[in-house]
Amino acid sequence: MKHRIKTENLALLYQKAAERFGDLPAFAIRESALEWKPVSYSSLYEQGLNLATGLIELGVKARDHVGLFGDNRFEWMLSDYGVQLSGAADVPRGRDVTDDELFYIIDHAGIEVTFVETEELQNRVLKLRSRLPALREIILLDPKAQAQPGVKKLQELCDLGAALRAKGDKRAEKRIAGIKPDDLFTLIYTSGTTGTPKGVMLTHSNMVSQIRNLPGYHNCTDRVLSVLPIWHIFERVIEMYTLSFGGCTFYSSISTLGEDMRNVEPTFMASAPRLWEKLHERIIKGIKASHPVRQILFHIAYFLAKHYKNSEYFITDKYLKMKHQPKWIHALLLPLQVLRWIIVLPWYGFFNAAVLERIRLGAGGSLKATISGGGALPIHIDKFFNYVGIPVLEGYGMTETSPVISVRSINNLVVGTVGPPIPETEVRIIEPETGEVLYPNNKFPDDGLSQRGEIWIKGPQVMKGYYKNPELTQRTFNDGWLRTGDLGVITHNHCLKILGRSKSTIVLSSGENVEPEPIEMRLQQSQFIDQCMVVGQDKKYLSVLIVPGLQEFRMSGFKERTMEELVVNPEANKIIREEIRKLTSQSNGFKRYEQIKDFRMLPVTFEVGKELTNLYKIKRHVVEKKFNHVIDELFTNGAIKNN
Amino acid sequence: MEFNTQLLYAHDQALLAIMIFVIMLGMGASLTPDDFRAVIRKPRGVFIGFLSQFGLMPLIAFTLATLLNFPPAFAIALILIGSLPGGTTSNMFTYFARGSVALSISMTTASTIMALFMMPILLKIYTGGFTAQISASMQATGTEADFIIPTMNIISSLILVLVPVAMGMFIRQKWRDWAKTAEDTAGFVGILVILYLLLTAFTRHGHLFLQTPIGVYIGAIGLGLAGFFFGYWFSRLLGVYPLFQRAISLETGIQNGPVSFAIILLSFSEPVQSQMIWLAILYSTFIVITSSVITLRYRKNGKRDWDIYKNTAIHNRLFGEDYVTQYPKGFLPKRLLSDPSQGTQPSQKRF
Repeated sequence: MKHRIKTENLALLYQKAAERFGDLPAFAIRESALEWKPVSYSSLYEQGLNLATGLIELGVKARDHVGLFGDNRFEWMLSDYGVQLSGAADVPRGRDVTDDELFYIIDHAGIEVTFVETEELQNRVLKLRSRLPALREIILLDPKAQAQPGVKKLQELCDLGAALRAKGDKRAEKRIAGIKPDDLFTLIYTSGTTGTPKGVMLTHSNMVSQIRNLPGYHNCTDRVLSVLPIWHIFERVIEMYTLSFGGCTFYSSISTLGEDMRNVEPTFMASAPRLWEKLHERIIKGIKASHPVRQILFHIAYFLAKHYKNSEYFITDKYLKMKHQPKWIHALLLPLQVLRWIIVLPWYGFFNAAVLERIRLGAGGSLKATISGGGALPIHIDKFFNYVGIPVLEGYGMTETSPVISVRSINNLVVGTVGPPIPETEVRIIEPETGEVLYPNNKFPDDGLSQRGEIWIKGPQVMKGYYKNPELTQRTFNDGWLRTGDLGVITHNHCLKILGRSKSTIVLSSGENVEPEPIEMRLQQSQFIDQCMVVGQDKKYLSVLIVPGLQEFRMSGFKERTMEELVVNPEANKIIREEIRKLTSQSNGFKRYEQIKDFRMLPVTFEVGKELTNLYKIKRHVVEKKFNHVIDELFTNGAIKNN
Repeated sequence: MEFNTQLLYAHDQALLAIMIFVIMLGMGASLTPDDFRAVIRKPRGVFIGFLSQFGLMPLIAFTLATLLNFPPAFAIALILIGSLPGGTTSNMFTYFARGSVALSISMTTASTIMALFMMPILLKIYTGGFTAQISASMQATGTEADFIIPTMNIISSLILVLVPVAMGMFIRQKWRDWAKTAEDTAGFVGILVILYLLLTAFTRHGHLFLQTPIGVYIGAIGLGLAGFFFGYWFSRLLGVYPLFQRAISLETGIQNGPVSFAIILLSFSEPVQSQMIWLAILYSTFIVITSSVITLRYRKNGKRDWDIYKNTAIHNRLFGEDYVTQYPKGFLPKRLLSDPSQGTQPSQKRF
């Protein structure tokens, strides 16, 4: 941690990083697999100052809101530098923003100056311009794109700023000095999984507290591979954090990820659960395609790793501890676990070196840690990576908390939880109906550990509020505590475990509350099920919408070429029915009312920007609306089909 | 000391032979002609390694045997082990100790060839006194013959073990996938057989463990440890970078155990064979444990310079051969100031 730069605001962070890390690369831009262009800390800061001066010349005032629409590219980061260094705040959103949202955001945030990444975005903003009288300037990021009349190019603005600074313009430096900790650095509009866009106001002190409190030991030899949407708060915190210790961020993409992992050999990476699922899938496929002897070796290795790690977790008290365990039981089991650990150790040592290392090399081989966030990581994926020796640190947070609330650290890695709350952060568990504090509360045994309820938090990372929406802000806060809307529990080793989103809870007509996420995660373990969503609000029983894995069906001999053909195939339906029955049976720990009674296969895949958020979370209300007729049909037939 | 048990039955010997074959095949499967060329291209590290392997190690073995007052058969075995070339095990340990695997492989390759000339010379130099002792005791029991080191037999058994190595290299050229499998299997088989031998020795001849003088245990463990220690500081003294220092240290301490079994079985006979095999088993067992411990230590200590080396190397891989990584002042350890890539990248050299 001593290598981390700690400052009062982000502009100072950029400045200090340039001073300390100078010529080291801050970012690397991919040109081809083995050709990347580095941008050094000092040059990025210089360019950022030029841009900031250009923006000031353009009339951007301190604490203004500057639009920043686009996806991962170096010019995005440069724009962010420019905005921070001019004392303003950016209002970011990705390329997949809809016209309605674009209009809403520019209008609501009072944006006068905006960056647009591509020609396409430029044209869309231009079309809306007549309805947005406040919008004065549009700046185009893509250097290769054609600017329309009245639109400036990023380079022009940088050149303008450079010329002014050459003549002794110090306005940017003055702006930096004028930034207050309570000033916004960004205003992020989230549509999230529910409702209309809300402007989350995040301050410099919010983000700076994250840099201060995140666990981890990194220094300027670290390489960070970036695949998340650049404007998303999860990616931004990783980016700022990386700048604070002098690491280099390598911009990759989903399509080149495998190759980039091997070439860049990242030491650190953050991503959504979906990516780990994909990676897991690819590793398993690779093993299945390998020589039979190697397959056997892998299975032996995995078996040993599982036993070794489980003993280790027990001995170091890092296992999922949902119930209080009397000391004498622990004392009784401890020698057995130690014995198992000792017996497995030499074998694990050998297989870890000979077999598991190859698996790790597939992910570059240098990963010290990876962070998963933005959704629940399925437990079997979680275990897989931790067993094979790629530590996955699952974290928990939301845009409103910029974003990390809790995260596992290397020294406190309890699989199945999202780790302990980070320093300076207080967590409460609240009974959602009555508002009673369940944790910490000495009325309950162990001060309320293992009590289930809604998670409320307080800490320096919590947002200032929703922009121009005091009513919503007031509803979200209760006496200074932020209500997350998520259900959770504190385990007996003081880690937070997320149980689901209270807003996605399905209440059956019988009054039973069902969390759909665990069931969906379970179902997605089937190779034949790509995606799914459990439905049944106010109904007698649960049903599920299934997006079948066409590839897998074809690999197991199905001739169907399209999803449309597949969903009506009775054989395919039979397979899915069997999979659902098998995976969610009561012997697998699902309760009677959690049983899936019926299902429909959908002929389409859920897509990011439509049915999924950028982090691959299902937007339930969107799916419900879109497949309204299918859901109706599922429940109106009444009788349970047996095809 | 009484040590006239027949240690290995015929089927154990067959098993041992299979193990040697499989391991040497696996060793060959991990080598390419390029590894031989690498030795010629970068001879400095290999030369330092050579001095350490064939200069220090036999001397350490001789000193230990003398100081610990070894019975002659054990002493000859220890010196024999001390004069062996390196094996593939050291490459794996070097990999995990964050050392230079390329150098480790080069040293293994070079020492395997050099052993053909060096082993007879070294045995001649160091074993003289001990063979005389054996001859004396043999004559005391009425045998007329002198005990001599079977030099020609040793050379021919060395050549014999090179046959599966060559076969392994051939497999590697023809079927890459198979070669990788052979490599993994070899290590696994090695561990299994050593454990089997230990277990049978324990059940059949439990008294062996008690009969073996404590000094012999110390020698069997100490040989490897002293090899690591002197290899480490000898190369440090010559100004070798940490990356290569760790490789040389491990390569010096870890000898090619299977070759020692082959030589002992093919070149020596009773009354010394069983004792020599016993020492080879002890060495092979303890070296796995000691090198694991040393590897973990090197891995931890070497983290900093390895991270720097790796990052610098990747910068050159992705940003171009001419890119020079400029670390902030005070970040680089003194030894790496002039070259953070530790001699692997010409563009990073600065004076």
